[in-house]
Amino acid sequence: MARKILVIDDDPDVLLAMRLPLERAGFEVIDALNEDEGLEKAKSLLPDLIILDVMMGTHTAGFQLAQELHGPEAPEALRRIPIVMVTAVHQTTPLRFRPDSDYLPVEAFLEKPVDPRRLLEEVHKLLPPE
Amino acid sequence: MQGHGSAPGPELSGSPQPDEALPSTAWLLIALRWAAGLSILLATAIARWGLGIDLPWGALFAIGAAVLAYNTALAWDARRPARPLSAMRRALWVQIALDWAAMTALVHFTGGIASPALIYFVIHVALAGTMLAPRGARALALLAAALVGGLAALESSGSLAHVSLHSLGLDSDLYRRGEYILAVLFFFTTTALTVAELVARQAQRLREREARIHAMSEAQAAFTRAATHELRAPVASSLALVRTVEQGYLDEMTPPQAVIIQRVAERLDGLRELIDDLLDYAASREATLSRRPLEPVDLGAALSDSVERERPLAEEKPVTLRVQPGEPVCVLATDPGLSMVFSNLINNAIKYTPSGGEVTVRWVVDRPAGWASVTVEDTGMGIPADDLPRIFEEFFRASNARKSRVIGTGIGLAAVRAMVEHYGGTIALDSVEGQGTRVTLRLRLAPSEKSFPSLPSP
Repeated sequence: MARKILVIDDDPDVLLAMRLPLERAGFEVIDALNEDEGLEKAKSLLPDLIILDVMMGTHTAGFQLAQELHGPEAPEALRRIPIVMVTAVHQTTPLRFRPDSDYLPVEAFLEKPVDPRRLLEEVHKLLPPE
Repeated sequence: MQGHGSAPGPELSGSPQPDEALPSTAWLLIALRWAAGLSILLATAIARWGLGIDLPWGALFAIGAAVLAYNTALAWDARRPARPLSAMRRALWVQIALDWAAMTALVHFTGGIASPALIYFVIHVALAGTMLAPRGARALALLAAALVGGLAALESSGSLAHVSLHSLGLDSDLYRRGEYILAVLFFFTTTALTVAELVARQAQRLREREARIHAMSEAQAAFTRAATHELRAPVASSLALVRTVEQGYLDEMTPPQAVIIQRVAERLDGLRELIDDLLDYAASREATLSRRPLEPVDLGAALSDSVERERPLAEEKPVTLRVQPGEPVCVLATDPGLSMVFSNLINNAIKYTPSGGEVTVRWVVDRPAGWASVTVEDTGMGIPADDLPRIFEEFFRASNARKSRVIGTGIGLAAVRAMVEHYGGTIALDSVEGQGTRVTLRLRLAPSEKSFPSLPSP
């Protein structure tokens, strides 16, 4: 059975740009267009990996969702799922994350615009090809 | 973008503009005072030895010497860098108070109410007018009139010995004639008040205009940032989509299709670069205009952050990206800003260095001098000597860079320089065409860093 990747991003074009290479690589891709839908699908479908845009709607939506998925109160089943966070260095938000940020409970970072090759590299680091 | 009309703009009254001019006003005063002190000495010398005029030359030489002496102290004091505005304001008032004392003495020793030196007071009234609101300037004009009137009263009553200048043809009785004193005081006071009013009003108008221009620049920078930011998302998604096609995650393309897709991807990449540079530029302008406060920033962390961000580009070329760390230190900067500065410089160095070349980043700390010096050096195409003077200009690109296929906008370095200058640092660039470029930044150490030796990091 194909491994499932949940991609949470409010931009449908970004979702498509990630879906194409991931499906080519043999993953099953599930879309979510906002954080509520993302959290619900994460709970119900328990994907093998979550790719999460840091900035949806509000500046902190992605950050809050990462906390809900991986925070101390999150159920073990959710905490086991690795998260790749998609960030934009040139975001003009007051928050800025570094890949070594201790306070951000995610496994990897990807920079926008997402390069398909780098996306697959990061995904394969967390989900090695079977 | 939503709400065009209600876009958040900086308030008109946001910045206290008069203070901007304080240091230059202080230096102008000091420069003028050298001239004033020297001319008192010179005029006394000429009057005494050249024209044979009978003057209390000892007192006048003493006044000239005193003016030069306190001006030396003031110049030395003004050299101290980065003082709070309130301190600078105080120093300026000290200057003015000393001058008024010197001028009163000068007037006394050159004939009191009949002195030709009386007119010097008006200079200071005008000067105060440039710094004060009209009300304050009027008050100072009246204070000058009171000083002159007081001096005249003391001399006419005999409490203070009057100095007569017979050889100037000044009637020795004038200082005792009430009508004459009143007439001089009347014209002196009205002149001083008029000058104060005129200058203060013009200065106020200029300050208001300056504040408006400042607010407009801030609004413009904010608009550039907001508008550019809106462009970023669609360009990023388009680029991501085109790359999936370009990198073959869909069906095979015909060779002409592949070329077109590749060209679209290249143009989008250029657009993305322009947007990122514009965002950096707007951010640096906003930081400078709003005088965003500086904070201690870990130099090593900011540098390694930028190096890691640019490493994929170096590996792709490939270009060797080397870091030679200095001792850990905190510099005065802003947090995302400093990484932006380093990323821009490292990105440039990698971009303009051909495959197999090298980019070296290093820093050294000079604690006694209070500086950290960061160099980014490459073995790239370099910059033609003719282009070096303009290299920091907005949208300027060196002639060899324009001819190359390297994507660039020419605003990265302008943003870097604006930011570094906001930090109170300096940037220097030297380059030999065909051999490489070296950019050297000097950044101020955070105040806590200056006197202590570095501690080993845990």
